[in-house]
Amino acid sequence: MDPPAETEDPRAAANGENNHVSKKPKLSFITEPEIRQEFAHHKPGIARINNGSFGSCPASIIAAQKRWQLRFLQQPDDFFFNHLQRKILHSRTIVKDLINADHVDEVSIVDNATTAAAIVLQHVGWAFADGRFQKGDAVVMLHCAFQAVKKSIEAYVTRAGGSVIVVHLPFPVNSNEEIIAEFRKGLARGKANGKKVRLAIIDHITSMPCVVIPARELVKICREEGVERVFVDAAHAIGSIPVDVKEIGADFYVSNLHKWFFCPPSVAFLYCRKSPLSPDLHHPVVSHEYGNGLAIESAWIGTRDYSSQLVVPDVLEFINRFEGGLEGIRKRNHDAVVEMGEMLAKAWGTNLGSPPEMCPSMVMIGLPSRMGVLSDDDALKLRTHLRDHFGLEVPIHFQMPRDGEIRAADGDGCITGYARISHQVYNTLDDYVRLRDAINQLLSDGVACKMLQRE
Amino acid sequence: MGDLLKEPLDIIIKSEISAEFSHHDPTIARINNGSFGCCPSTIIAAQQNHQLYFLEQPDNFYFNILKPSILKTRQIIKTLINADHVEEISIVDNATTAAAIVLQHTTWSFFSTLFQPGDAAIMLHYAYGAVKKSVQAYITRAGGHVIEVHLPFPLKSNSEIIVEFRKALQMGKANGRKIRLAVIDHITSMPSVIIPVKELVQMCRDEGVGRIFIDAAHAIGNVNIDVKDIGADFYTSNLHKWFFCPPSAAFLYCKMSDELSDLHHPVVSHEYGNGLAMESAWIGTRDYSPQLVVPEAMEFVSRFEGGIEGIMRRNHKKVVEMADMLAEAWGTELGTPPDMCSSMQWWECSLSGD
Repeated sequence: MDPPAETEDPRAAANGENNHVSKKPKLSFITEPEIRQEFAHHKPGIARINNGSFGSCPASIIAAQKRWQLRFLQQPDDFFFNHLQRKILHSRTIVKDLINADHVDEVSIVDNATTAAAIVLQHVGWAFADGRFQKGDAVVMLHCAFQAVKKSIEAYVTRAGGSVIVVHLPFPVNSNEEIIAEFRKGLARGKANGKKVRLAIIDHITSMPCVVIPARELVKICREEGVERVFVDAAHAIGSIPVDVKEIGADFYVSNLHKWFFCPPSVAFLYCRKSPLSPDLHHPVVSHEYGNGLAIESAWIGTRDYSSQLVVPDVLEFINRFEGGLEGIRKRNHDAVVEMGEMLAKAWGTNLGSPPEMCPSMVMIGLPSRMGVLSDDDALKLRTHLRDHFGLEVPIHFQMPRDGEIRAADGDGCITGYARISHQVYNTLDDYVRLRDAINQLLSDGVACKMLQRE
Repeated sequence: MGDLLKEPLDIIIKSEISAEFSHHDPTIARINNGSFGCCPSTIIAAQQNHQLYFLEQPDNFYFNILKPSILKTRQIIKTLINADHVEEISIVDNATTAAAIVLQHTTWSFFSTLFQPGDAAIMLHYAYGAVKKSVQAYITRAGGHVIEVHLPFPLKSNSEIIVEFRKALQMGKANGRKIRLAVIDHITSMPSVIIPVKELVQMCRDEGVGRIFIDAAHAIGNVNIDVKDIGADFYTSNLHKWFFCPPSAAFLYCKMSDELSDLHHPVVSHEYGNGLAMESAWIGTRDYSPQLVVPEAMEFVSRFEGGIEGIMRRNHKKVVEMADMLAEAWGTELGTPPDMCSSMQWWECSLSGD
């Protein structure tokens, strides 16, 4: 079986914004039964409302991936010498157009956002070691940055003598203006004693709690405040919100293709804006390609299975089977998840964590205060309990009230627990009804988190 | 290793072996197992099962299945290579990644001024291309000096290697230069030779070399491995070359020491600080299935007479036989004597050409 042809125009895609490129005439869009087929490998009986954590991959893409895996196993030398680099370049070209980058050189394919963070931060570590950065120079991060990114900062910045400025953003949040104001304040405070800020790491969509951040505005603030470089961790972005890297204006931008863009685990792109001052980034796993540019280095880090990086063209085809392509999928996911969120908030007498326009394809819903989510441990216990006893996959977030400020409450007390619900094309109303009923069941049984076993 | 070899009721037969590798391109005479390895259909099927477990319910896989499965793999490796503690065994993608881990550790020693500019690393001239670049990226760039040991090829005996290495070590240490790290291949890649690593490790210890890293990418499934006997600080080998795992998985053995807690995977996750093995077992969402089929690989090799030892012995015998046949047909020579070949062989091409 041959891999997909490369003759299709890589811009024949999914943004919905490129109207002048050739698309095959659509006789009909993908149907509900076909969607169910594509995701028939999802475990039946589980209400899978956590696409955000690990993503999902349709059966036709899994099949395409297997074809690539077989190609390598059949004749690995030929694959390595004659096909691999070309195919990765094809994926990079598609991504370049999707995200509105200028040059394909700016687009590297890596395993995941965690790897991209290591690439950018290892570079910062070297700058401290080389003396280009002085001890005490700072890196800015959000308080709710993804834990791997926080640890990467510890491993490469703190360890090398850099300091860290942590900016707290409000949650629950009511508007972009709140975020912008808090960020401006936090950054100014952090710079107060004349620290030089070498890098700011800003989430485009924070993970827990989940909020769409006005990244473009925050990048502007960083520039105004003399931050040398900005890295946007947009792990969740592609396939859930529009991505235009030129408009956002950051130096580095990463997003996972296996979360909301239907790729198999795992693949991500790291965009690095070209400029005369472009830093010299390297993949930490060094191969014979060292020195040939990050994209080329990343395309060979030793013998491995690169097949997940090669199915991007197949994913575009899959997306084009949906009405409106990627834009259509995004919009319907967003509308559905907001609708489900409002249904749950009403049923529980709680709130959404952010207004709909700040939600991607995920929403944070306040859990009734009587659930008693009072720690990260409580949140994990509840998540486990919902999986084991109700067949529900939904991550739970504990929001520590800050400075005693109560930002959300229901009739019984402060709301400190939130469920993060996702909506992807395979989700149905029943998934969320089951969540609604599960929480209501627990409450009517008088069960709170402190009573749940640590399994 | 005896307790890992089952008494098979019936040994795998030729037609079954053909079936296991029927996915290999039938038009190609595939005499390059050394570069990319190979994987039998039974293991591919096992791997696809693991991939499916993740895809069908990733949260459950992550919370309940992944870590215990990797631990199982690590325990098998520990027994196979005669390591003392399972904490000494980390599973990584490949030897290239293992090299980055060991070498980045050395970089931090330069940064923290534990090592001084000009302190040296010593490696073979025939070191693998990626390892040489890694040494450049992490040692030269950090101010370290690199000593390359040139070995003759073709080779007649181990003593030629030992003599050259000793010379290079002593020259390297001249003027009081400290040699902080030795990177030694167990089986060089191109040209392919089994290096007398135990002797070289002992020599390094005698000469005060700080740490010793054995790049044994080709070793497991090809030659016997006893990491305690070899005595190095770090030892890595690929499981997808000669041990029938799918692409890709490798182990990195790090002898228990105070410094063990200071080794880190360069891709940092929330597991940072929990030990290299834990860090390597979660470097973000990825397909970890190649790391999970080591039990199935053990079952597969046990279907062969003599298990993995039998396979190694027969491969070695055959490749020497075939090399002798070719050398005779072409009027050339083997690059090394048979006892310095693993399951790979080199021969000198006739310069007069045809």
